[in-house]
Amino acid sequence: MLIDDLSRSDTVTRILFEAFPIVEVRLFYALGYGAIGIFFYGVYREIRKYRRGAALMLGNWRARTGAMIASVLDHRSIDRRDPAAGGAHRLIFYGFALLLLGTATITLEYDIMEPLFGIRFWRGEFYLVFSLVLDVAGVGLIAGLLYMMARRGWMRLPKLDYARPDRVLGDADFERPQYRREDWAFLWGLLIIACTGYLLEAARLVWLQQRAEVWQSRWWSPVGAAIAAALRGAGLDARGGGLLRHGLWWFHALLALAFVALIPFTKVKHMFTAAASLLVRDPLAAQRLPRVPETAAQVGAQRITDFTWKQLLNLDACTRCGRCHEACPARAVGAPLSPRDVILSLREFADATLQAAVLPAEARLDLHGKAPGQVAMETLWSCRTCMACVEICPVAVEHVPIIVEMRRKLVEDGAMEPLLTKALQTIQKTGNSFGESRRKRGAWSKGLPFPIKDARREAVDVLWFVGDYASFDPRNQKVSQTFATLLHEAGVDFGILYEGESNAGNDVRRVGEEGLYEVLAAANVAALGVATFKSVVTTDPHSYNTIRNEYPDFGGRYEIEHYTTLVKRLFATGRLKVTKPLKYRVTFHDPCHLGRFNKGYDAPRELLALLGCDLVEMGRCRSNSFCCGAGGGRIWMADPVGAEKPAQNRIKEAATIPGLEVYVVSCPKDLTMFEDALKTTGNEGKFVVKELIELIREAIPAAPSREVAA
Amino acid sequence: MKILVAVKQVAALDEDFQIRGDGRDVDPEFLLHDLNEWDDFALEEAVRIKEAAAAPVEVVVVCVGPERVDASLRKCLAKGADRAIRIWDGAVEGSDAVATARILAAAARKEAPDMLFAGVQSSDQSHAATGIAAAGLLGWPHAAVVSKLEYTPGAQSAVVCRELESGLLHEVEVQCPAVLTIQLGINTPRYASLRNIKQAAAKPIEVWSLAATGLGAADVGETGSASRVRRMYVPDKGRAQLIDGDAATQALRLAQIIREFKAEAP
Repeated sequence: MLIDDLSRSDTVTRILFEAFPIVEVRLFYALGYGAIGIFFYGVYREIRKYRRGAALMLGNWRARTGAMIASVLDHRSIDRRDPAAGGAHRLIFYGFALLLLGTATITLEYDIMEPLFGIRFWRGEFYLVFSLVLDVAGVGLIAGLLYMMARRGWMRLPKLDYARPDRVLGDADFERPQYRREDWAFLWGLLIIACTGYLLEAARLVWLQQRAEVWQSRWWSPVGAAIAAALRGAGLDARGGGLLRHGLWWFHALLALAFVALIPFTKVKHMFTAAASLLVRDPLAAQRLPRVPETAAQVGAQRITDFTWKQLLNLDACTRCGRCHEACPARAVGAPLSPRDVILSLREFADATLQAAVLPAEARLDLHGKAPGQVAMETLWSCRTCMACVEICPVAVEHVPIIVEMRRKLVEDGAMEPLLTKALQTIQKTGNSFGESRRKRGAWSKGLPFPIKDARREAVDVLWFVGDYASFDPRNQKVSQTFATLLHEAGVDFGILYEGESNAGNDVRRVGEEGLYEVLAAANVAALGVATFKSVVTTDPHSYNTIRNEYPDFGGRYEIEHYTTLVKRLFATGRLKVTKPLKYRVTFHDPCHLGRFNKGYDAPRELLALLGCDLVEMGRCRSNSFCCGAGGGRIWMADPVGAEKPAQNRIKEAATIPGLEVYVVSCPKDLTMFEDALKTTGNEGKFVVKELIELIREAIPAAPSREVAA
Repeated sequence: MKILVAVKQVAALDEDFQIRGDGRDVDPEFLLHDLNEWDDFALEEAVRIKEAAAAPVEVVVVCVGPERVDASLRKCLAKGADRAIRIWDGAVEGSDAVATARILAAAARKEAPDMLFAGVQSSDQSHAATGIAAAGLLGWPHAAVVSKLEYTPGAQSAVVCRELESGLLHEVEVQCPAVLTIQLGINTPRYASLRNIKQAAAKPIEVWSLAATGLGAADVGETGSASRVRRMYVPDKGRAQLIDGDAATQALRLAQIIREFKAEAP
């Protein structure tokens, strides 16, 4: 009853500067303005840094803002693959946000509404409820911070280890202990601010215990009240409480002001940069690489200023959470690449050069090399452009376009492995990476008992874009013949482009040879242009990705699908029927370009279910699928002798599935990579690698008369 | 300073090629053309010398061939050549290595370079003669099969290492101007990106007529050649045979063949 009365009374309110000499109040304001001044200077310096990047126009701001706010509020991107960290971050985020809001409301009343309009609202019930909410928020904040400290201090997660795979022990920037110090300072800083807040509240209660409106409403601040009870129990009296309150007040205030001032200078800035990075996110960052303008004086990124302002902002959004580091297949097998370290290196470089008042001479802006902040050639060539890093980044850092931009410059300078040079020259010359004659592109179809239509000469419903591997690799040619037979038996009216088809260019583009990619894309768009068809199907996820996402930029817009969805439809409409259900225990490897790139996770799994297979998933599946190691042009480069290859790492993972019979793939390069890895890991004979097409064939035995000629 | 690099566009056989009607060459329909591999190394060597030199050096590529060789010349320009010269005339058709060398020597006289580089040989004809014949016609010193080169543009001489049989190296000092035929592996030729090649399209290719070299129709073509092709053909199948059957059958047959051969031997 008493509290109810009190809460309606105007006398219940937040005690602010009570008993402070005017000098101290003025000092506090002076320090406050100083902190805000430093904050804004830091913000100005960062914005100046971003503005030194290359121009980029973005649109669609309304949708972007909605997506960003949703992502920030529900923490969907932070929860992924680490829900505990997501939960703890949520506690910190909401705890901090509420406390910030509380402080902001006090300022609103005390410094703006009251002096200007004489309005006071921070009293009575509003104050008491707010007080309770903030007390609970503080508990959340502290709990979240403690979990984060436990993660760093005791759990010792490998992804939080800053040792770099692209540097060796002894290099100046090998472990970067300054990052660890900053992490801990951030956690401790927030924790001390939160804890002193409670102590301060308790000291104030003890100090003002004689004042009824304060003391009797104390349980609206339950944590503060409990600590106050403990302090009193320990013998603290009102006078002692007053002294403690005065000291703690200043300590808490100075820490809080220092925190505000330091935001733009420390990782705390991620509160702004991560949100901004999410705002400018490109959902097709890795799937559709940027074109090089016709008029561009140079290609790719050589200087830090060649990156766009958005990419420079991306660098600042990184919080070193290590998720990309953990997901990267190159890093997993010990290659000198961690997407995290590419980003951090470039950030160190950008900060060292672009934060200065005057832009340094061009020579100092060269990104390629081994000095601190620079990115080495070996690092860039280790990337598989598998998109695992981009996909998992909670703050929308887009590593792949950054890496490809730097590769473009390397290609321009010819700074690449001789094997890759050879492969690119071969593609320049013959239009395929096998160095085979163009005329031979359709030769695999000669062994079939039925002719395949030449889509350049007669109209077809479905145009099958075959791709290099499926056309020229002997093992994959067998799969191509099987797929052709399936289409033929299902009565699909289909055709191919024969020698009109060139390498689709997906990997050429990801290598960074943009000029050659343009030639290939233009050649294929022209070849498709003379053919008459309703839709395109491809058995090659790499071709699928570039035709689907990148050809539109070259004037090629088609209805295109991967074969898994087409075959699924053939089953659904009864044109194909499983006559011999398979009882295999299988696992499925999601190809990067079908899964992560184009979200084709379900069709292959539904097909496996239709065939009667018992699908056992590997730990890393769907969006977390582990690249076979062939992407980004790595298929044309040699892996280091003796070191584990990504495909071997993957086969070893599959081998842990008890009773596994078939390792199913749906990408020609996967078939090559994994059949090889099966042998080199000594798993041959334990299970087999098969293309999904081959399993489908097995479940629909052909009539003998229709058997494919050997 | 100037380095002249003689290059050739060589032909490779496409699948299922056919011999030309007159039986003296492959039907051009079945040929795929590209820059001769040795010449790529020769050009790279010239460009590296240019890049390392303190004084300005001009690298000029010269090629005897019809319009189609422009594609290869453009690649040379993309890789760092400053100028390209293409010499052609209907009468040149049918020239052998010596007649071609006569044209190149005439071009060298006109351009007056400090060095003339050529590849050791071409991958399609393998005469390994054109560069050396040009040296003979010019009366210049020459070194063949150069695998290492120390040369400063403007110097009176160059030191070259020549690859001999059995892994021997032959270090020779030659007076300049000289003709050097460059061996594979002397360097790592750079990659000409498609963009470089496109940009090189802005550099002009000078087209010279035969008259511009001061030669007449009689100096070139079949009349100016020192040799004449009689025929080109695929030899009859050799004694190679494919052994069919499973591993056991194959091994049995192989052992049988070896025994037959042993019995034949004295």
